Amino acid sequence: MNSENWAKMHGATVHFPIALVLCSGALDGLGFFFPVAAIRRGLHAAGYWTMMLGAAGTVPAVVSGLVMSRGVMLGHDTLRLHHLFAWPAFALIIGLATWRALASEFTARKAPAGYLVMACIAAVLVMAAGYYGGEMMLGH
Amino acid sequence: MENSARRLPEIGAGPRIAVAVLAASAALASAYGLSLGLRSVASRGSHQQPTPEAWFERPTPSSPAVITQGRALFLSSCAHCHGADATGDEGPDLHDVGVSDRYISNIITFGIKHEMPSFKKKLGHDDIARLTAYIRSLDDAARPGGDLDSTPANLR
Repeated sequence: MNSENWAKMHGATVHFPIALVLCSGALDGLGFFFPVAAIRRGLHAAGYWTMMLGAAGTVPAVVSGLVMSRGVMLGHDTLRLHHLFAWPAFALIIGLATWRALASEFTARKAPAGYLVMACIAAVLVMAAGYYGGEMMLGH
Repeated sequence: MENSARRLPEIGAGPRIAVAVLAASAALASAYGLSLGLRSVASRGSHQQPTPEAWFERPTPSSPAVITQGRALFLSSCAHCHGADATGDEGPDLHDVGVSDRYISNIITFGIKHEMPSFKKKLGHDDIARLTAYIRSLDDAARPGGDLDSTPANLR
């Protein structure tokens, strides 16, 4: 498969973790403040699974991106900016998903504030990486 | 889901954070390893191979002024991939490439599919000739005891 097809593959795979991680943060954030316990549990369960799926989705996105760029981890100009946000976002998402997978009581109760703060940081990093990714595809 | 989650043994916050950091580090390390492997494969598959054309063709007319102009073009158009000193970064080292001027000019003009963009629209014929002269001057600079006369002192 040539670089063009890997670029298409990157475009096809990268939107899943972006959407899922942002949704996860929003669901957990909503659940943190929601007064009704039953709905709060539902929101956190949804936040849990969207984070798990988002973390799983980062793997094909990262692999296709690396193959597309022939192994360039930083690069220059806009690609560098994209990577400067994408790599911390990747590490943070994997870390958050691992943390959450190990927190057995976590799915039933509200997310700790520390987790929410880190999820917000991950969301900001993902958005910035996505912005510069879009700049590379559509910007001039 | 919640019931099964409650049955799992509790893990303290400290070890949980430690494992999470370890997992994040492992993920980054895996990406770095993949990156190294891919870069190795890409460099082995590079299209830039020495050809004997250089033996049969006359070099592009050059002068220190032309090379200086070529150097300026190189910095604005090529250095972000080949490095400011042309020793290579994402793109290959351009010192002592061992190919003809026509080959260099063709690569700049048409690019290399999936590896290097074409500069046909960005650079005119004269600019490409200046760039070619600069890249050719790197051959001389790269050889031990080579002819450095054609390379301006500020570029050595």
